[in-house]
Amino acid sequence: MNRATVNKIAATLLFLLSWEILPRTGLLNPLFVPPLSAVLVTIHDQTVNGALASHTLISLQRALSGLLVAVLVGLPLGLLLGGWYSRLQQGLEPLMELLAQANPVILAHIIIFFIGIGESAKIFIIAWLCIWPITFSTITGIRTVDRSLLKAARSLGLGRWQLFVKVVLPASAPSIFTGLRLAAGYAFIMLIASEMMGASSGLGWLVVQSQESYHATRIFAGATVITFLAVATDRLIKLVEGRVVVWSDSASREDYLKLQRVTE
Amino acid sequence: MVTVNAQAGRLVLRSSGVILFLLLWELAPRLEWLDPYFVPPLSVVIGEAGTLLREGSLPIHLLVSVWRAIVGLLVAMAIGLPLGFLLASRFQQLAEAIDPMLRVLSQVNPFTLLPVFMLFFGIGETAKVAVVAWVSVWPILFYGMTAAREVDPVQIKSAASMGIGSTDMLLKVILPGALPTTFVGIRIAASLTFYILVAAEMLGAGAGLGWLVHNAAMNYLIPRIYAGAACIVVLGFVLNRFLLWLERVLFVWREEISILPGEAAVAVSPWRPGRYAARALVGGVLAVLLFGGIEVQRINREAAEPGGGHSHHFGTPVDSGGSSF
Repeated sequence: MNRATVNKIAATLLFLLSWEILPRTGLLNPLFVPPLSAVLVTIHDQTVNGALASHTLISLQRALSGLLVAVLVGLPLGLLLGGWYSRLQQGLEPLMELLAQANPVILAHIIIFFIGIGESAKIFIIAWLCIWPITFSTITGIRTVDRSLLKAARSLGLGRWQLFVKVVLPASAPSIFTGLRLAAGYAFIMLIASEMMGASSGLGWLVVQSQESYHATRIFAGATVITFLAVATDRLIKLVEGRVVVWSDSASREDYLKLQRVTE
Repeated sequence: MVTVNAQAGRLVLRSSGVILFLLLWELAPRLEWLDPYFVPPLSVVIGEAGTLLREGSLPIHLLVSVWRAIVGLLVAMAIGLPLGFLLASRFQQLAEAIDPMLRVLSQVNPFTLLPVFMLFFGIGETAKVAVVAWVSVWPILFYGMTAAREVDPVQIKSAASMGIGSTDMLLKVILPGALPTTFVGIRIAASLTFYILVAAEMLGAGAGLGWLVHNAAMNYLIPRIYAGAACIVVLGFVLNRFLLWLERVLFVWREEISILPGEAAVAVSPWRPGRYAARALVGGVLAVLLFGGIEVQRINREAAEPGGGHSHHFGTPVDSGGSSF
């Protein structure tokens, strides 16, 4: 273990420790910020009686379905527009930019006219927000493929399909993964918003319920679980990216609405 | 003339998608492909927006939303910029140590924080501004740190070898070197903020664009939903474009970051913002802060009066848009 790792662990421990001590000593009002141990106990209790697990499962299911729909729509759309129909892409780009600005929380009011208030509306809301980063980063990835790679592959006699599968797709994979990670982050943000707006299950609903009854500990428990899920999903995608994209010498530095640090 | 023609053709091509969409929006309900009750044609929506404009409610909601966004952004900048620069330039070890923690914190969902902020700050403006500040502080902080770290060392060394003082070093080398990347963070924060703000306004507010749409949905004023949503979309689009343009105009010394081969041809406009433009911008922001502040106070006062005003209750399934349909 090198020094940097030790520092990181120490800083994290210090943060957790102050979360425990500050409310206990009354420097922070424990009614508003419950100490870490109380939050952990709540998480444990709720896990034991099964409530937390079922809500988590429902939330996770919603987020992943939304993300899956977004990938199924956004990826082919991006590939088609970026790879084949570049004039169509130029024509559609401003429209897509406008549509990406359409806040899904507001769209929710319109969507329920058509598909009702059930699960599909929530999945639609999540998918809507996730489609755009995936589409845009796929287009960018394809259009920034190294020209000399394309020319070299073509001069070696690769056909259109092979060129796409063996050169374009691998070369744009880092950018596609960046879009995917962004989308996953959005999926969790929107999941909670949509569950707060109208649901009777899920982690967002749990947080709202706890707020109604002034259970600060439960709010923090819900928030902790949600944060953990978001971080875990992000890590998972990163892990997959590391396994799949072994040839990329540097992580892609897409700055499109990226919340992560630029240098990684 | 050829270039003018080419430019015109490009313009037509690029706007064709939007025009087609708007045309479809007008025609589909008129020809009864879509139920005009649920999807009112574009002209009806524009008429509704015009009515809102004449009543004077649209400008007020706009002002309130923009005020919240600007205040939240300013708070985030006041925290994020100095912190980011200090961490990256002076306390690098500390920055490295707390990095994993900051990342996890930045993933904390702003909507789950809304209840926590409401416990702290009560139900008023502060909770919403705090959510906005929370959302926008992370990109500003992370990009600020990266910016301060990535100033070209050659520039720093050559400036040092020419005997530059430490103040001049900061003002003339590090700051200009770090500003472009920092501005990217601010731009990202601004567009993200607007997104979250509108959502937060729907969950609990008495005014603002998000509330306008929410209220319209509660009262089944369907054209008004579309009018409000269209305003939000257009405002977000204009904001995004304005910030991108500002970035291009302000940081001419930055090497062109042409992402797409086709886009690189966009000419940098010869106009450069001078003292007057800066004054106008600052004046505009101050005016929004002043008038928006007055308006927000008035709205909150009206809401606080018993019997009058709007529901401030946040997020119950009964109150919210979804479940009442």
